[in-house]
Amino acid sequence: MSAITATPTFTRPEPSSTGGQTWFARSVRAEWIKFWTVRSTVWTLVATVVVMVGISVLAAWGSTIEAVDPGSSMNTAQLLSAGYQVAQLAVAVLGVLTITGEYSTGMIRSTLAAVPRRVKVLAAKALVLSAVVLAVSVVSMALSFLATLPWQDRLGATLDLTDPETLRMTVGLPLYLMAIALFAFVFGALLRHSAAALTAVIALLLVVENVLIIIPLRAVELISPFLPSTAGRRVLFDTEMLQMTDAVEGGIGLAPWLGYGVLMVWVVTLGAVAAVLLHRRDA
Amino acid sequence: MIETHELTKRYGSTTAVDHMSFSVQPGRVTGFLGPNGAGKSTTMRMIVGLDRPTDGKVTVNGRRYCEHRAPLHEVGALLDAKAVHTGRTARNHLRAMAATHGIATKRVDEVIEMTGLVTVADKRVGGFSLGMGQRLGIASALLGDPQTLILDEPVNGLDPEGVLWVRNLTKYLASQGRTVFLSSHLMSEMALTADHLIVVGRGRVLADAPVADVIAGAQGSKVRVRSPRADDLEELLRRSGAGVTATESGLLEVTGSTAAQIGDAAAAARLPLHELTTVGSSLEDAYLQLTADEVEYHSTQVGIPTVTGAEPAIQGASR
Repeated sequence: MSAITATPTFTRPEPSSTGGQTWFARSVRAEWIKFWTVRSTVWTLVATVVVMVGISVLAAWGSTIEAVDPGSSMNTAQLLSAGYQVAQLAVAVLGVLTITGEYSTGMIRSTLAAVPRRVKVLAAKALVLSAVVLAVSVVSMALSFLATLPWQDRLGATLDLTDPETLRMTVGLPLYLMAIALFAFVFGALLRHSAAALTAVIALLLVVENVLIIIPLRAVELISPFLPSTAGRRVLFDTEMLQMTDAVEGGIGLAPWLGYGVLMVWVVTLGAVAAVLLHRRDA
Repeated sequence: MIETHELTKRYGSTTAVDHMSFSVQPGRVTGFLGPNGAGKSTTMRMIVGLDRPTDGKVTVNGRRYCEHRAPLHEVGALLDAKAVHTGRTARNHLRAMAATHGIATKRVDEVIEMTGLVTVADKRVGGFSLGMGQRLGIASALLGDPQTLILDEPVNGLDPEGVLWVRNLTKYLASQGRTVFLSSHLMSEMALTADHLIVVGRGRVLADAPVADVIAGAQGSKVRVRSPRADDLEELLRRSGAGVTATESGLLEVTGSTAAQIGDAAAAARLPLHELTTVGSSLEDAYLQLTADEVEYHSTQVGIPTVTGAEPAIQGASR
């Protein structure tokens, strides 16, 4: 702290039209830098990959020990998504911290002073988060595929992407994790508090939804299928699994993509509320 | 140039800022002075659009802050020394801030050097001292080379060298024709730094004038007299109609009489004097008079007579 220039010199910074970037692109660039320069990002993403690959391997290995129907062939897409329940928690933590980390540290004031059109900040953050979670999920799936190769033959597991159901399950996994990350993100934007948002999101994903599914009350049976994860995860299930869950849930069997649509409606609706509140509330 | 018009902020039944109207002119350092809880920070937050006014209006360079396309090029603000993610390094923080405006990385290096953060730029902000946090806040304020600077308590936590640096920097920036708006509750610092003062208390503007005028507006000066025969001198002066306060054994503070008059009177009565000093009215006096009824938290006196209750704060400062 010794060399302090007593009479600083000023040079006019680069003109604001650098490279024809739009203002939104600049916000995205800023959020990209912010995203990668905190440690929680790396931690949660590493956890996502480890969990997804690890559980896929365990599932493949376990399936070879527990004798499967010798004649039946297994869908590899199912193996790849075996870890979704745990992986969704990791991306949910990432989603929440992306926004609440700014509130807990006071950074949000710097952010909003630099970009006073606040909704732009929310959109830029959501875009960066979605892209990264999508990419990391795809990478995890590829790694899971490679890691489970030794068992795939013995399980008769195939990955036939021309089969519509397999394609849906394969494409569905990154999209599902992205949607959960966004859901957690908008929850964080609403609550503006790391612990509160993390507790709420994880309790919902892990406890509330799973408990409600097994309560045989008609009112609950009507609501439960429309809860975010219960609806959204249907894109990950094959026909057999869908029938099993419908039997437990007691009735309303949303079509897989419709279920995913319900999850996205949650995200967009809560996101809109978060945007309005962000615009109105004092930072 | 910052202009507020009837600016008001209420939180429930509390009025933090109460119909404030003032303008901060370019080319000089304007001090924003007031006790804690006077509404300084709230006002500054409203200037940069973080808080929404309940009523009234505030503009910077003729426009509301959020209407500026490139706000960092218009206004640089140090609002909260630690409005920074604690897990990020100083350089990365500045890079992200710069990216919002497409400001080159070269400028990031410049402000790091300018604020003396070179050695800690790649350390996480969470480990920064208050002073380093202030420097980082000032660095981000300077990032866009703005015409207007808003600094909330910038010398808070700085070491003497840092205080001097901020003082020179703000004066230099003002000399370049920029608008510099600086808040503080430290009167002594304001006396040295500011050209113009806006004094506030309980959300209202109490004075808006050049520093010299604010000081001149304070009531009379006094004379400090030290004498081994203070008791006799006190009686003599009282008889001549002066106001005398004995602050400690052998030391008198006299109002309503000049040093010359006191010296002559003492000589005539053959009373020895060990000290005879005219104590000019200071900014502190002016400030305390202005804000006497406006402070939100009155401290209970600790063994000091009521009228001179604030004396210890005045000693040493600004002289």
